[in-house]
Amino acid sequence: MTQELNVWLDKILGDIENVKIERKRSNRLRVDVDARALPAVLELLQGRASYVHLSAISCVDRIDDDEFELVYHVWSYEARSLVSAHTRIPRDPGVYLSIYDLYVPAAFFERDIHEMFGVYFEGSPDMGKFILTEWDGPPPMRKDFDSEKFVNETFNREQYHPQWLKDLEKEGGGITTPAEDARK
Amino acid sequence: MSKNKTLTKKDQMQQDKAQDGQQMLVDFTRPRTNPMANVFDGLVRFCQSRSMFMLHYCTGCGAIELPPAMTSRFDMERLGIQPMVTPRQADILLITGYVSVKTLKRIILTYEQMAAPKYVIGICSCTVNGGMYWQSYATAKVLREYLPVDIYIAGCMPRPEAIIEGLQVLMDDIKTGRAENWKRYFQNYDYYLGNQQKLFGDHWQTPTDIISEARHYDLITENTLGKHTALLEKHQAPLQALEMTLQQNRERV
Ligand code: SF4
Repeated sequence: MTQELNVWLDKILGDIENVKIERKRSNRLRVDVDARALPAVLELLQGRASYVHLSAISCVDRIDDDEFELVYHVWSYEARSLVSAHTRIPRDPGVYLSIYDLYVPAAFFERDIHEMFGVYFEGSPDMGKFILTEWDGPPPMRKDFDSEKFVNETFNREQYHPQWLKDLEKEGGGITTPAEDARK
Repeated sequence: MSKNKTLTKKDQMQQDKAQDGQQMLVDFTRPRTNPMANVFDGLVRFCQSRSMFMLHYCTGCGAIELPPAMTSRFDMERLGIQPMVTPRQADILLITGYVSVKTLKRIILTYEQMAAPKYVIGICSCTVNGGMYWQSYATAKVLREYLPVDIYIAGCMPRPEAIIEGLQVLMDDIKTGRAENWKRYFQNYDYYLGNQQKLFGDHWQTPTDIISEARHYDLITENTLGKHTALLEKHQAPLQALEMTLQQNRERV
């Protein structure tokens, strides 16, 4: 029964225009969908295909394409399968529709993404500060925010390189990689 | 402030000494002139070192090594160290791991509530210099810029043996009267407050009036007051009691 549902899902989603599906495993499906169609696809998945659990919404900053990629992970307890719906929205102005009306837990993820990436979700119940209550810089997970530069400007550095570590290094031990090398 | 200790065997420990731009203005290790007073002081210090209540503020992953250190496997209670639930009844503030800016505020509030003499132990490399979070925007890097730290136990994360050894170093320091770092907070309050203000903004204010306490303990020095405390006094608002409301009357957020 579960397999059957998944096969049907592939067929139905494959028939919709602008939806690209890619079955990764018997219980993982990747769906690439246009931003305009995503709420409809999610509604279909939730209402007709038992994908009632929103596991997470993740966001990726595709700075080279000047886009944000939003990924909605929904899970079905009946089909025991996870669908990840990917969509892209322009980085500027970075506004998208909330799916709070479909999935209530979306409020949590959307608020988090708003704080970390600055994406505004229209219709989300609260876009206020969430975890970074003390932060008033730019959204820190955006790729154009240079965390290291910020740290160098804000905090003092302190070296911790005691004698016992130097002794260890002399014997060929230790795991000290200078920051410059670590970045290569 | 004290003789240099050999750090060879005490591998993972680095004592917080010689802080930049500060000096201990009074030599607390100096023996008193009355020999009886010395005996008495020694006894008090011995008793203090054998009965310590520890407030563990589990800020980061390093806290994972505390349960085995405290419970039956390594059992730090045999050294006379016990966990305590409130800051006002604790002697040691154990900061286990990276400290985010948000947490740091709470740490400072907690620290200021503790009754003197109080000791701070920074566990984990993250409290020394940021550790593996050295380029993170969210964590404060050098803990001792904001609070006087007595002992650092470096490591990512330090094993329970290292923690217990660190606590023993602290006990030795208390016994010999070298663990007097808490006085620095009063003596150099301007320095600490300045660093706190840099991070939290000019309006930073805690419920504890450190300057009056410094006066009370007779620990006012020329470094207690300065331009940062002047800024504090300018912004300082009198503390007000929190408004009490019943849960059902509160608006749902
Ligand atoms: S030093 Fe390592 S174990 Fe300790 S808080 Fe930092 S990352 Fe975690």
